[in-house]
Amino acid sequence: MKAHDLSALGAGFSSEAHGSQSVFRAALQALSHPGRCVDALHDAQVPSAGHPASAALLLAMLDADCTLWLSPMLARSDAALWLHFHTGCQLVDDLAQAQFVWVAAGDAMPELKVLPQGTEAYPDQSATCVVDVLTLQAHLQGQAGWCLRGPGIQGQAQLRVEGVPADFLAQWSANHARFPRGVDVFLAAQQQLVGLPRTTAIEPTGGQSACM
Amino acid sequence: MFHAFDNVGPGKALHRADWIALLSRAPVDLLESVLAPHCAQPPQWLRAPETGLMMVQGRAGATGERFNLGEVTVTRCAIRIGETHSASALVGVAYVLGRSHRQARLAATADALLQNPAQQAHMDASLLAPVRQHLALQRTQRQARAQSTKVEFLTVARESGTPGEEEENE
Repeated sequence: MKAHDLSALGAGFSSEAHGSQSVFRAALQALSHPGRCVDALHDAQVPSAGHPASAALLLAMLDADCTLWLSPMLARSDAALWLHFHTGCQLVDDLAQAQFVWVAAGDAMPELKVLPQGTEAYPDQSATCVVDVLTLQAHLQGQAGWCLRGPGIQGQAQLRVEGVPADFLAQWSANHARFPRGVDVFLAAQQQLVGLPRTTAIEPTGGQSACM
Repeated sequence: MFHAFDNVGPGKALHRADWIALLSRAPVDLLESVLAPHCAQPPQWLRAPETGLMMVQGRAGATGERFNLGEVTVTRCAIRIGETHSASALVGVAYVLGRSHRQARLAATADALLQNPAQQAHMDASLLAPVRQHLALQRTQRQARAQSTKVEFLTVARESGTPGEEEENE
C-alpha cells in the first residue's frame, strides 16, 4: 500500500463532527432495535468497493487506536487506504487481533467463533463484525426468513437477509449462547444497517405462520 | 530547523519530501503572494485543515537517546486540485507549525502544483527559490546573533611550578 498515492481517494464526511455523529446515531438505533433497518445517511465520498453504509459506519467508529481486518476483496481495493487515511486505524491480517471486521458481499465471512470474544470480566473487548449483504427486508410477507427475539424487541421482529453464509444461524446461536462474551454484528445493505447485538436470539421461520 | 537539502545544487532532481519540508517553513506572506490566484475556487478538501498537538523529540547535542522535548501546535490538511476522479487530479498535503488554516491550505496547494511536471519548474523558481533565500537569511541572522554572544576567554600561560615542587617530582 503506497501511503502517498492519494489522487483517487474520496473525501470523508464534509463536517467530521456532524457526519460521524449522525452515523453513530444510526448505529446506536440499529443496535437498540435489533432487526430494524436503519438508514445510514452521510455525505462521505465512499470507496468503490464495499457498501456505502458499512464504509460510513466504519468511518464514524474507527480511530487510531482501532484495529481493522478486511476481507480479501476490500483489502485489495481503495477501501483500505481510504479508511486508513481518514481514521488512522491499523489494518491487521490476523483475525484474532481485530477489533473491527469488514466483510464484502461475495467474500467468505470468517467464522464468528475465531473473532475476539472478550472476556467474562471485559466483554466489551470483543470484535464488531460488519457484513455486507445483498438485501435486507424487515417484513417477510409470507417468505422464509428469521424471527428475532431479545432486548430491544417488543415480542418478536422479522428479518429477511440475502447474502449471509448458509450456517450463519448455527454460528449465531453459538455466539448468542456465549453471552456475556460474543461478537456483535452489523448487516449492511447499500444504504441501510441492521444491528445484531449478541443478546438477540434468531430462529429460522418458514413464513408468517411460524413466527407469531 | 535547517537542513542540508535546503540548498540543492544546480541540476539536482527535486524530491517531494524536500519541497514539503521547505513549504512547511515558508512564511505565509510569501506563500500568499504566489498562490493566491490558485485559491480562488472553493477548495476540494480530502482532509479539511485541523489543528492538533504533536510531540517533538530531540537528542541532546544531536546524539544520544531521544527524549520528549515538548508539544507543538501543528495544522495539517490535504487538498485535491483538478477534477475529481480524473487522471490529472493531484493531491497536496501540508503540515505547518501553528494554527493558521490559511497557511496549511496554501502549502498544500503548492505541494499539489509542484507534483505537476508542467508547473514544477515555474513553481520552483517563483516559490521555492525565495523560500530557500528566506531560510538562508534566517540562518545567517541566527548565526550572527549567536556569534555576538561568543566570549573569548583569555588564558594566562601558567608559569612553571615552584622549584620545590619540581624537586619532589623528581
